[in-house]
Amino acid sequence: MLKTHLTGAVAAALLISAAAIPAYAADMTFERALNADKEPQNWLLHHKNYQAHRYSQLKDINADTVKNLKIVQLLALGGIMSGGRYEHGNLEATPLVEDGIMYATDGWGAVYAIDLTSGRKAVIKWKMDPGIDRAWAGDVACCGVNNRGAALWKDKVISISLDGRIFAINKTTGEVVWERKIAEPAVGETITAAPLVIRDMAITGSAGGEFGIRGWIDATDLNTGKQAWRTFTIPGKGEPGNETWKDGKDRWKHGGASVWVTGTYDSSIDTFYQGIGNAGPDYDPEYRPGDNKWAASVLALSPVDGKIKWGFQYTPNDPYDFDEIGEHPIIDISVNGAPRKLVTHAARNGFHYSLDAVNGSFVAGKQYVDKLTWSKGLDPKTGKPLEYDPALDVQPYVANSHATRARPKSDIKCPPTSGGKNWQPGAYSPDLQTKFVTTIEGCNQLEMKEQADFNDQGGAVKPRERFTGGSGFYPEPIYGALKAIDPVTGETKANTKLTYPNWSGVLATAGGIVFTGHMDGELTAYDSKTLKEVWSFNLGCGIMAPPITYAINGKQYVAVLSGPHWLRPKPVALKDTSPCSMLNIFSL
Amino acid sequence: MAGFLNRAVPVALLLLAGAPMAWAQAPASEEARAIEFGKEIFKTKARCQFCHKWDGTGDQGYGGNALSLRKTQLSREQLTEVVKCGRLSTEMPYHDKFGYTDKRCFGVTREQAGADMPPEANQYLQASEIAAVTQYVFARIVGKGETTYAECVDFWGKDTQQCEPLKP
Repeated sequence: MLKTHLTGAVAAALLISAAAIPAYAADMTFERALNADKEPQNWLLHHKNYQAHRYSQLKDINADTVKNLKIVQLLALGGIMSGGRYEHGNLEATPLVEDGIMYATDGWGAVYAIDLTSGRKAVIKWKMDPGIDRAWAGDVACCGVNNRGAALWKDKVISISLDGRIFAINKTTGEVVWERKIAEPAVGETITAAPLVIRDMAITGSAGGEFGIRGWIDATDLNTGKQAWRTFTIPGKGEPGNETWKDGKDRWKHGGASVWVTGTYDSSIDTFYQGIGNAGPDYDPEYRPGDNKWAASVLALSPVDGKIKWGFQYTPNDPYDFDEIGEHPIIDISVNGAPRKLVTHAARNGFHYSLDAVNGSFVAGKQYVDKLTWSKGLDPKTGKPLEYDPALDVQPYVANSHATRARPKSDIKCPPTSGGKNWQPGAYSPDLQTKFVTTIEGCNQLEMKEQADFNDQGGAVKPRERFTGGSGFYPEPIYGALKAIDPVTGETKANTKLTYPNWSGVLATAGGIVFTGHMDGELTAYDSKTLKEVWSFNLGCGIMAPPITYAINGKQYVAVLSGPHWLRPKPVALKDTSPCSMLNIFSL
Repeated sequence: MAGFLNRAVPVALLLLAGAPMAWAQAPASEEARAIEFGKEIFKTKARCQFCHKWDGTGDQGYGGNALSLRKTQLSREQLTEVVKCGRLSTEMPYHDKFGYTDKRCFGVTREQAGADMPPEANQYLQASEIAAVTQYVFARIVGKGETTYAECVDFWGKDTQQCEPLKP
C-alpha cells in the first residue's frame, strides 16, 4: 500500500485543471480528513469536509459546460426489501469516493465498494450485507428504512446498520473485521446517521425520538472496537439541564432528543457540533412541562470525552416536532469587520441561526422559509422565540399554533412538521460566502392524543411502542424551494420555488453551479448566483439523496443515488411511481 | 416421497396440537389462502400495519391517530366501506381509485367532499384485495383480546426477534 499521497495545493491545482493523476490507495488518516478539501478528486467525508460545506473546487463542470452533462454510468443497487412497517428500504446516503472507488450504502445497511476507474462501467468490488432482522428493526424506524452513509478510517470502511450496530470493514475485501452493538432496538433505538470519525473515534447516536428513547451520542474507539464514551442528550438527575424537565415524574427518561444526522467538527477548538432531535412525546408538551433540554437543540461537545461544552436550544418545550438534527455548518467569516467562527443552522422550525462556535452565543437569526406562523420572530439578543417565557412550564407560542389537551387540534401552522429543512444537507460556497439550502415549504396541522405513561412509570406503554402524543397531518399540499442564504444574517438572497418538497440536499461547486435532486427523479443544476436552472435530467425515479462530485484520472463526475423514500404525504402527481435503487453518474 | 410423508404427518399433528382454540377447525384451503393473501395486503401492499400496528391495536404517530381494529364495532360491510372509501375528515385513506369519481363513496365526489376528503392510499386496491384484507382482519384481529405470541409468529414468522417480547 502506498502510504504517501499528493496533498496540498499542488494536487488540487493539477486536478482542478483536469490533469491526469494516477489512482493511489492511501490509509485514511486524521490529517487527510482535516485537509479533505485538498483532495478535490475525492469525497472523503460525509459532508465533504468537517465543516459540512459540501462544496467542491472542481469546476470542469460549470455554468458554461453543464449543458453537455450526460449520464455515463448506471448501477442497480439493492435494499428494496420490505421489513417491519415498511414496504421497502430507502436510499438517502451520501456516497464516499476515494481514489476511484465509491463506498455507498443502502437503507438496510449494505455497503457497496464500487470501482469507477474505467469511467464507463461501475463495477461492484464487494458488498457487505449486515444481515439485519428487518422486521425487528423496521418496526421501530419512525420514518423509513434509512442509512445515510459510511466513513473511512485507516484501511477500513466504518458503517452502521438500522438495528444498532457499527462495523469496521476491510476496505480491500469487504470482510467485517469487527462489529459492535451500540443501539438497542428492544427499547426503540436505531442508528441511521453516517459515523463522524475524529482521530480514532467513530461518533454516532441513537434515533428513536418517536419511541420513547432517551437520546445519546456515542463514540467507538476504532482501535479496539469498544465504547470510548457515551453522552446522553437529556441530562440525568443532578446534571445541568435536568431541571428543565419539571414534571416530577422523570419524564426525561423517555424524552426523545435523538441523533440521526452526522455532526460537524472544528479542529482549532477541537469541538464537534451535534443537532439534537425533538422532545418526546412529540405533540403533547403538557406531558413534559419545562424547556426539555437538550431536545430541539445543538450541542457543542469534546470529541475526546463527549463532555458538553455548551448547548443552544432552538424551540424550548417543542410542541411541533421541530427536530433539529440537521447539519450545523461551521463558517469562518467576518462579522462587522471582525473575524468570527460561526456555527450555523437552517432549522426545521423555519429560522436560520448563526451562533458563536466557541461559546454558543446568539449572533443572528432570521426566517428563511416562505411562511412561518408559530412565532412572530426571534429575540435579537437571546435568539429565543419572541413568545418564549421562561416562567412558563408549557410554551403557547402563537395561540393555537400547536395542539393542547384543552384544544387537541391545532390551527394550520407553518412550516409543516417536516420543516423547514429536515435532514437533507445544504451546502456553503466560501467563494460566494453563501449557503444553499433546499426546503420543505407549506403548512400542516397537529392533533394531540394525550400520551399514556410508560410501563416503568406506572403506565401501560411498552418499549418499542410509538410515543408521540398524537400526530401531524397535511390538509394542503406542501412544496419546496432552493434558497441562497447569507450565513451570518440568515437573509435569503435568492429563492427558486420547487414543485416538490426537497429531500435531496445540495452540492455546491466552484463551477458556479449547485445541484439538487427532486422527488420526480429530476437532477437539476442551478446558477449559484441567480438560482436559475441551467441543466436538468430525469432519472425516472425519485431522488432523496445528496449529489456529490469527484474526479477520476482528471475527469470530473457528478453522482447521486436515486431510490424510493418513505413519503408522507406522497405528492398526487407521483402517486403511481415505483421504487428503484440506482447509482447514477454523469460527466461531460 | 415416503420421506416427505414421514415428516408431514408429525408436523401436521404438532400443528393441530399446538393450534389455538380459534384455529382448531382449520379453515377450508381456499379460505386460508384468502386470509394469507389479505395478510400480505395488510402487511405490505396497503400497509395497514403502519398506522394500526401489526396486531391491529391502533397507534399514533406519523401514520395518524389510528383506531383499534381489535375493538372495532364495525360490521364486515362497514369495514369494507372504510377500506374502500377511507373516513371523511380523518387520515384513514381511501383505497378504491374511483371512490370519489362517481359518488360510490358516501354519495359524494372529491369536489363535494372538499376539505373533508380523506387522503389517497399509497397504493390503490382492487375489489378482490379489499375483500381479502377485510376477511383477514375479521379472521385474525377483530374481537381478539390481548395480543398473543402465536399471533405474532403467524404475522412475522419465527426468524425474527419481533415476537420475543410476547414470548410466554
